[in-house]
Amino acid sequence: MQKILMKGNDAVAEAAVQAGCNLYFGYPITPQTEISEYLSRRLPDTGGVFLQAESEIGAIYMVYGAAAAGKRVMTSSSGPGFSLKQEGISYLCSAELPCVLVNISRGGPGLGNIQPSQADYFQAVKGGGHGDYRVLVLAPCSVQELVDLTYLAFYLADKYRNPVEILGDGMLGQMMEPVVFRNPDYPDISKEEWVITGKKTRERRIILCFALDPKELEKLNLHLAEKYAEMERSEVLYEVYGSEQPELLLVGYGTVGRILKSVVREAEKQGIRLALVRPVTLYPFPKEILRGQARKAGKALVVEMNLGQMVEDVKLSVEGDVPVYFHGRSGGMIPTVEEIMHRVEEILLKGGEARENNL
Amino acid sequence: MSTIFDNKVENAWCPGCGNFGIQNAMKRAFSELNLEPRNVVLVSGIGQAAKAPHYVNTNVFNGLHGRAVPVAFAIKTVNPALTVIAESGDGCMYGEGGNHLLHNIRRNPDITVMVHNNQVYGLTKGQSSPTSEEGFVTKTQPSGNISRPFNPLSFAISQDASFVARAFSGDIDGLVRLLKEAIRWKGFSLIDILQPCVSFNKVNTYAWYRKRIEYLDEAHDPENRLQAFERSLEWGERILLGIFYRKKRPVYQERVKENLGVEDLLYRGFESENILQGELPRFR
Ligand SMILES: Cc1ncc(C[n+]2csc(CCOP(=O)(O)OP(=O)(O)O)c2C)c(N)n1
Ligand code: SF4
Ligand SMILES: [Mg+2]
Repeated sequence: MQKILMKGNDAVAEAAVQAGCNLYFGYPITPQTEISEYLSRRLPDTGGVFLQAESEIGAIYMVYGAAAAGKRVMTSSSGPGFSLKQEGISYLCSAELPCVLVNISRGGPGLGNIQPSQADYFQAVKGGGHGDYRVLVLAPCSVQELVDLTYLAFYLADKYRNPVEILGDGMLGQMMEPVVFRNPDYPDISKEEWVITGKKTRERRIILCFALDPKELEKLNLHLAEKYAEMERSEVLYEVYGSEQPELLLVGYGTVGRILKSVVREAEKQGIRLALVRPVTLYPFPKEILRGQARKAGKALVVEMNLGQMVEDVKLSVEGDVPVYFHGRSGGMIPTVEEIMHRVEEILLKGGEARENNL
Repeated sequence: MSTIFDNKVENAWCPGCGNFGIQNAMKRAFSELNLEPRNVVLVSGIGQAAKAPHYVNTNVFNGLHGRAVPVAFAIKTVNPALTVIAESGDGCMYGEGGNHLLHNIRRNPDITVMVHNNQVYGLTKGQSSPTSEEGFVTKTQPSGNISRPFNPLSFAISQDASFVARAFSGDIDGLVRLLKEAIRWKGFSLIDILQPCVSFNKVNTYAWYRKRIEYLDEAHDPENRLQAFERSLEWGERILLGIFYRKKRPVYQERVKENLGVEDLLYRGFESENILQGELPRFR
């Protein structure tokens, strides 16, 4: 199959079209506007609709409507724009509507800046809006993975009738890499049972995102919880890399996951054995493998482009069995191999005395 | 001409941008109104227009895309002695923040809203905005914008906004005159300023505007709402500038006093320096 050189943002957009998404509603914001630009050219060819809404709030509710009507639909944004969509995401989860959300995240809080960052981890995995809900969160680390996970995202959204978020960052969105479009024929999932399309021969359909009776709402929440439990059983994805007998386990996702691979290789040259667990699904979180690998290594170092978010989930996963250290950069700063190596040496040499944080 | 509103902040606009005319006109208008930098607050959203407050020596709140007006409203409410101006682009004010415009027209706070209207999203590098014309081709509207442009003047007049004007950033004298009127006006004043974006709007250029602009003539009575509305509908061969509409209405502050019998809202507690002096030691 042919390899082509493509920018991350364009690649997500192309993969979405190939996955059968021909509706996109968005609002410009850097560093993801290329997704809109690409789809504004591409979607009309497919008989689909690209629409630049009046705001992100308008866009997320257009997604809601299109999903209720049974179409594969996507929106994308970054930072402040993604925050504005949170209300709609809560409603989409409650109404069990499938859609794909792309967050090419940037530095925060507030307007922050347009540099790459992982500051939106909590927002993505803990339910950034109100209520008791989860969004499936996929964290690619390369342009190829952006493509592969985009195909997967549409399938999982339909399978669970739930929004799926692709959490990238400005670096992934902007960088160019060779990529192959290999659409893995995921099974088609019928929406006949619930979709609002208007049909003479059947009863009217109602899609709701509330239940005023507490007994009913609890029932809905328990039903959602069952779906989440199923996701946790069936959809966990991760990559393990490096030494079989590590002295220290590294944990990082997305862009940081890539950097940590270089750290593993650099350490190997210096005779230091490291392993890496790179979560690919951030929700569901790869707890089991982390616990196993962390126990094997005896200690873990979590690296993020924020001041400590996923590290909490790593700690929950290892259940206090081993010390978990943290190294983070924020505000659009990207951790370097050198500074992480420095931190690794510090932890291995000074052992338990190593600082909990780098700040 | 140098004024006390000059500062040395490095400018990030493209050479030739219509925003420079607006910036110069603001400084002149503030000086001619004898305003003091410490008593002026410029509140902006996000966009090229929203950078303007940085280049003028006043107090600044530069915040969120679309949200300048509610912030300006609350600053004015807390301290009515300040001259509060919300300033942003057409995308910020009429798109993302359109709802806030509507509701502040209803409330009628004594603030001025300046819209740098370049009919495009400048900062995000050229997408259509709410005021882009039909057929306007951009990177996200490759076969041309298919929505009708928003008409801010007709909208504001239809909602009985207290003061509604249009200016052109290429005519600085005219802009200074209109800005002064808008700022002096007690009540909600909207001033829509036509501002060429030399990088991303190759249609509505200086020359395009110059060929069309014409000031409202003496015969126009700005107190006449129907006439104002009719005039505001005109856009094309001729584009009218000036004060389309103005009507004295009690401002928000006065309505609060009337209804709640509250003298001055929160500001009352801070008004006297003596009160502050008396309270400060408690917090030391
Ligand atoms: C919530 C949110 N959405 C989107 C953006 C990205 N953004 C920044 S400025 C802008 C539009 C700029 O257009 P306009 O308001 O007309 O100002 P101009 O740059 O043309 O002066 C957008 C969409 C943002 N900063 N925040
Ligand atoms: S992009 Fe347009 S609005 Fe922005 S500074 Fe350049 S000319 Fe001005
Ligand atoms: Mg604009």
